[in-house]
Amino acid sequence: MPKITIDDRPIEVASGTTIIQAADTLGLFIPHYCYHPGLPVAGSCRMCLVEVEKAPKLQIACYTFVTDVMVVRTTTPQVATARAAILEFLLANHPLDCPVCDQAGECKLQEFYMQFGRYDSTLLEDKTKKHKQLPVGPHIMLDSERCILCSRCTRFVDDITHTHELGIFNRGVHSELLPVDGAAVDNAYSGCLADVCPVGALTDRDFRFKVRVWYLDKTDSVCHGCARGCNIEIHTNRRRNHHNDGKLIARYKPRFNAQVNGYWMCDAGRYSYKQIESPDRFLQPRVRGADGRVQVCDWSTALAAVDESVTRAIAAHGVSSAAVIATPDLSNEELWAVRRLCRDGMKIPTVACRCPADPRGVEDNLLRKADTFPNSFGAQRILEATTESELTVASVLQAAASGRIRLLFVLGGGLTERVDPAHLQQALAQVDLVVAIQSHHSILTDLATMALPASTYAETEGTITNFTGQVQRYWPAIPPLEESKPLLDILAQLANRWELPFTPREPELCFAELAGQVEYFAGLSYRVLGWEGVNPSQRTTSKSTA
Amino acid sequence: MAPRTVNVINVSARRRILTFWERIYLPEIVRGLWLTARHFWVNLWRHALRAVGIKTSLPGAATFQYPEVRRPQAPRLRTLHRLVQRPDGSPRCVACMMCETVCPAFCIKIVAAEVVDPNIEKRPHSFDIDLGRCVFCGYCVEACPEDAIRMDTGIVEIGSMSRGGMILDMPTLLSLKSADEQAGKPVDFLQRRFVS
Amino acid sequence: MSFVIGAALGTTVFIIMFVLSLAGLLTWVERKQSAIMQDRIGANRAPILGLRLWGLFHIIADAVKMFTKEDFVPETPHRFLHAIAPVLAIFFALLSFAVIPFGNQITIAGHSIGLQVVDLNAGLLFIFAMMSVAVYGVVLAGWSSNNNYSLLGGIRASAQMISYEITIGLTLVGLLLVYQTLSLAQIVKAQGGLLWGFLPAWGIFFQPLGFLLFLTAGIAETKRIPFDLPEGESEIIGFFVEYSSMKFGMFMFADFIETVLIAALVTTFFFGGWQVPYLADSGFVFPWGSSWHLGMWMVEGMRVGAFILKVLSFCWLLMLIRWTLPRFRFDQLMHLGWKILLPLSLANTLATAAIVLWLGK
Repeated sequence: MPKITIDDRPIEVASGTTIIQAADTLGLFIPHYCYHPGLPVAGSCRMCLVEVEKAPKLQIACYTFVTDVMVVRTTTPQVATARAAILEFLLANHPLDCPVCDQAGECKLQEFYMQFGRYDSTLLEDKTKKHKQLPVGPHIMLDSERCILCSRCTRFVDDITHTHELGIFNRGVHSELLPVDGAAVDNAYSGCLADVCPVGALTDRDFRFKVRVWYLDKTDSVCHGCARGCNIEIHTNRRRNHHNDGKLIARYKPRFNAQVNGYWMCDAGRYSYKQIESPDRFLQPRVRGADGRVQVCDWSTALAAVDESVTRAIAAHGVSSAAVIATPDLSNEELWAVRRLCRDGMKIPTVACRCPADPRGVEDNLLRKADTFPNSFGAQRILEATTESELTVASVLQAAASGRIRLLFVLGGGLTERVDPAHLQQALAQVDLVVAIQSHHSILTDLATMALPASTYAETEGTITNFTGQVQRYWPAIPPLEESKPLLDILAQLANRWELPFTPREPELCFAELAGQVEYFAGLSYRVLGWEGVNPSQRTTSKSTA
Repeated sequence: MAPRTVNVINVSARRRILTFWERIYLPEIVRGLWLTARHFWVNLWRHALRAVGIKTSLPGAATFQYPEVRRPQAPRLRTLHRLVQRPDGSPRCVACMMCETVCPAFCIKIVAAEVVDPNIEKRPHSFDIDLGRCVFCGYCVEACPEDAIRMDTGIVEIGSMSRGGMILDMPTLLSLKSADEQAGKPVDFLQRRFVS
Repeated sequence: MSFVIGAALGTTVFIIMFVLSLAGLLTWVERKQSAIMQDRIGANRAPILGLRLWGLFHIIADAVKMFTKEDFVPETPHRFLHAIAPVLAIFFALLSFAVIPFGNQITIAGHSIGLQVVDLNAGLLFIFAMMSVAVYGVVLAGWSSNNNYSLLGGIRASAQMISYEITIGLTLVGLLLVYQTLSLAQIVKAQGGLLWGFLPAWGIFFQPLGFLLFLTAGIAETKRIPFDLPEGESEIIGFFVEYSSMKFGMFMFADFIETVLIAALVTTFFFGGWQVPYLADSGFVFPWGSSWHLGMWMVEGMRVGAFILKVLSFCWLLMLIRWTLPRFRFDQLMHLGWKILLPLSLANTLATAAIVLWLGK
């Protein structure tokens, strides 16, 4: 293991480590453009030049491997001069159109120039004109003039997605990033190109001119698009409500998690933020009156109606005629609350969570999973742990269609995409009382006798368990929209009306109770989970091997 | 004794010891009355002379009779904002939100829109200034990278009978001209005053 | 008998018209004088048919404004006292003018009429009494407003009045010693002679220190700067903070009436009242022996004119003081009243008494 010194601080790192990685473990930041920890090294931008003792000239930190007794200095005058000169070169043909550039505010060229640049350029030549405002794919806008030719994007399409849509053409000052053979950059991960681009050459068309990045607040969360559960940041525009078309959530950005998604996320997940504030959101409680007309009402009326009719239905037909469908769209806490209220409290024997496969599900060997429910793993651990028979949603719907079910709760979304609407409609028509707690409009909220609006994951706190068993936390990014309420609150109010035992409605305490009751989650708490989550299945195997 | 490192200001030492005549106060009052009385009579004399048409070296009052007589404005006086036009009449503003960001009174609201022109790309869809909030600090002018907003109209009367009337929209802001242009003075191609 | 009543009515109407119109004018004079002192122009608007007349119509505009403003009455259990307080403030200030002679006397159809509403033989005491009870208006206003700030303003007012009335009383004792009479008509007549053959025998030459003390304490009685602690509109808030409309206007007006009163009293006590130097009942008699005979109407007209001129001059001086000096702090006010003016006025009284005794021997 080589022992090296960086800026007079000694460190011992594994051989094969580069200087920039060693400095990173020390907490020393070396400015860089082309180096990206998730991509192969190119060494083209020369921004990370550092002084290595006994080397004749400055070395690039990203591709110089450490050797024993190496002495590295990152703050000498030579390094500073080199950085300033490199920045001057990079800006030689840069259009400096920061006012119209979406990257402004999170642009590495801006940041490093403010920190290390020379403030008076000595270049007199005219700047080269290149392609600007060129949409190269459904999600990506290219501005070749802003490009600093770091080749992060070409390495991404070559080595991560293997789609090879982008290349660098021509020579010298005319070198230009362009799509290969005019191809469209439309791979399933193309949104990541805007992330990897350190400048404003590749920007997100969806986010284009919506809101300036310095108005955004960031909340850590987990993507609910599929069973992968990619770690994300939800960027919200809370301060200037006239920006971003008046909406709160501006975009999702991937958040690094080595165990789950690395640095990336897929486009489907990236643009799934639109569902949170979409016009499809179901935001007002609705109750179907005796005459069959649906009426929008307030919460107290809706809860009283649910209370009365459910009590009447159970008294008339008994709990054996009742059933609950709780899709794995729900968080661990919400599923636990369903189990506490419906199974333990109301004694409903039929609580199903296993849905048919989503026909839209796509699986690849990078991130995407065919199972588009975020919490199937957790749902099976929480709801099926105490059931002998494998109860599926399909069997519940079949029983409903045959008239054996008089009372049906449908909690959580995703059902209508997986079940044939005609079949669903036929089944629900046979049920006297359908109580749907949904976040989005669907055939379910139309058919339900009573429909209550639930908040989505962006508005609530909780945990989900991805397909490997990784339990991950997400945080509320925005307040519940309009009349919608977190499912835990809705269930708690129902439990309160029926005077049934219930779990605490605070997600953290609810999770603590869950961790005490369900074997898989034993020993976990919000503190233990932290920012990256914990995988209990890996922990038990590592324990058994140790 | 250890050297003092803290500067202690002895307030009582700074207070001047009054002389006997100052302490009995009456002569000082008479002095003050003499001063104000002199102003009164001299100014009254000047007013009287001017009233009968005799010009005096100084006027009787140093004031401007505001609505009729206007105080000359310094060239850099910050007055009502305007948006500068491009030669084709569109706003020079590119909706970079610098002014909106720097505004300490949160009075600027810009909504951006895209232009299909690689040399412009972005323009304001709407640009509202709420003068009811504006503090006339001029930071927006300082922050603007495009020289698109200026406070050189020379307009200082900006009252309105409603709050909504205090909000100026983009067409209004674009229609305003600089004080020089209104006065017919020459401006250069950047619509700036010629500097001799 | 009816003639006596007619004469009394005539003099009363004259003095009331004079005082009220002068006080009204002073509201304009105050603005204009302060403006000219400060190199400004001052109120010059309120035109009637384009005629501005240097803003003279502001007096009318003010009156219209005062009368048409909402008369807000605070939540108070003493609505009557609240309403009567400004009336008291004006009433006592006006009443004092009853004993001030504005001329000697005229003879109409064989009846001689003194140019004075009533020649009380205890006029000096009457003046003193009226100035003392004038504080009731202020104190009642402060108390009946049901407002802490008003109450504090009223308390400050009463403290100030008590402190400075002692000085006024003692300077009046000095005058009493000099003139040996309480009648104001007699006092003014006594100032008609000459000192050393050429100097008018005005009170200022007998009581120079008394004049300064009386003027100072008199300004304090008017509750105007530098003694405006009871009011202090902008900062310390005074007794009329809960008054609006013309009730507030009456307090303001009372201030101006008191200003006229102090000017009239100073004129009467120390500057010969209606006396014109060298003017006797028959006409001018100059010290070098020559004389100029004048008729009764001429002489009395000059005398009334002299009185008005002197009053106007002192009004001007009081305005000048009001717009020159800064306000006293309350401790300075008390210091000045009790530790400076009171000992000085005592000394003045003793010295006057000693001199009068010595001369009487």
